[in-house]
Amino acid sequence: MTAGAIDLAGVSTAYEGSDLPVIRGISFSIAAGEFVVVGGPNGAGKTTLLETINGMLPITSGRATVCGLDVAAHGTEVRKRVGYVIQNFAFDPLAPFTVGNVVIMGRYGLLGYGRQPGEEDHRAAEEAMHLLGIEDLVDRPIGKLSGGQQQKVLIAQNLAKKPDILLLDEPFSNLDLFARAFVGEILTGIADAGCTVVIVSHAFDALPGHDIRILAMNEGRISMDTHCRGDEVEERIRRLPGAVHA
Amino acid sequence: MLEFLIQNNIICHAVEAMLFASIACSILGVIITQMGISSIGFTMTHAAFAGASIGIFFGGGGTAAAILASLLIAALLGPLSEKARMSTDTILGILFGMMMAIAIFFVSYMQYLGTSVNASALLFGNVISLYREEIYALAVISFLAIVFVAVFSKEITAIIFNRKIAEAAGIRVRPIYYALLFMIAISVSLSLNIIGGLLLYVWLVTPAAIAYQFCTTVRGLFLSAPVIAGSVSVAGAWIGLQYSLPVGPLTAVSFSALFLVAVLISPKRRVPKGA
Repeated sequence: MTAGAIDLAGVSTAYEGSDLPVIRGISFSIAAGEFVVVGGPNGAGKTTLLETINGMLPITSGRATVCGLDVAAHGTEVRKRVGYVIQNFAFDPLAPFTVGNVVIMGRYGLLGYGRQPGEEDHRAAEEAMHLLGIEDLVDRPIGKLSGGQQQKVLIAQNLAKKPDILLLDEPFSNLDLFARAFVGEILTGIADAGCTVVIVSHAFDALPGHDIRILAMNEGRISMDTHCRGDEVEERIRRLPGAVHA
Repeated sequence: MLEFLIQNNIICHAVEAMLFASIACSILGVIITQMGISSIGFTMTHAAFAGASIGIFFGGGGTAAAILASLLIAALLGPLSEKARMSTDTILGILFGMMMAIAIFFVSYMQYLGTSVNASALLFGNVISLYREEIYALAVISFLAIVFVAVFSKEITAIIFNRKIAEAAGIRVRPIYYALLFMIAISVSLSLNIIGGLLLYVWLVTPAAIAYQFCTTVRGLFLSAPVIAGSVSVAGAWIGLQYSLPVGPLTAVSFSALFLVAVLISPKRRVPKGA
């Protein structure tokens, strides 16, 4: 197993009070720098899988190792090294946060209690904003941006962290066609630079053209684990029994 | 502490008490209003109210019992909302009702027994009833509230922005949340005697809501809310005692009036001309 990868062995996750696990006995390994797309119908357990990998949900059985750390025992340490762009967000238009405030938050977990962001942290935030092309928005209130701009801010926040692994839940959902291609290229670039990228997405047109790995999920289990070109992902997933037709 | 400014001892003590209570409550109020959990305020104030009434019933200290009851609610709140898998607001509503019922039960029962209990002091406070030690305790808690926000400013800012995003960023959200609950518990318990169980909520919520009308940064909120709270509270104590008016209600009404004015003149709601 390569350092900086994800290794799940028989992992199940259930929400408290529920008898049925949302993901069931999942096992796979993802090497550092792999570009992985997780597909499947609604309710298949895709978001749960991401939040199990970064330790936000409790593992009820099995073992997950991320960046060489046992997720169940070192959840916070794992999250310091794993970026996670959440799917659903809504910000108050009057919320007292500028884009700059939000992007630098990606560095907060790395700093620990009592330490304020320094030059290196601000530089990382500036680089992430520049990469996403949102540096001109730095002083704008986040609540007053469009959904697509907010999506880019959240991606920049996670890139500012310089993560070993980047998990993204429907990162293209608020983006227009051009922005999808633009963000798709950025994600390909960071995977090429050695960062493991795991995307839950139905926007297959934004995926990179080169070889990527598909993990298809259905009813909490991995129903397909294969490699193909980015432009073949949609066809592969549609062919699965009980597959998504979104 | 402020005798060099105010010669009249009664007014001096009242001003000091109101100043320190307002600083502590308004700073913590910024966090709970921005996190959308301001109902923690009225649940905690009524827990303190219930604790004080139990303390008085058993002949102990009202303040100590108020602190104990609020701390108990603070300790229960987190696990209860996690175990019950219900929204924090629902849990707060249940605890609020329970605390209110306990308080009314003991106050009513003491009145039935003919025990001398000043229920209105518990409900509406008495700004000149505090011992010097209680004023010192308020000074300490307002200082601790400032230190808490200063030391954990980035964690608090991230949690206020979005609790899930803060957690995903690698911030330990739970210890900060519990520390916040305990700080609120102690602050409201110590403020109960001067402001009262029914009005204390105003000190927690309204200064932060006023500041929110003008501030575009979290730092701005933390700086302006205590200034607003302190100014209105000190003015309320001064005017109330000078003209023999009830200090707590007078100050609470002033806060509410100021909030209405703030909403009307807020630059955040201004529509640009030609838009």
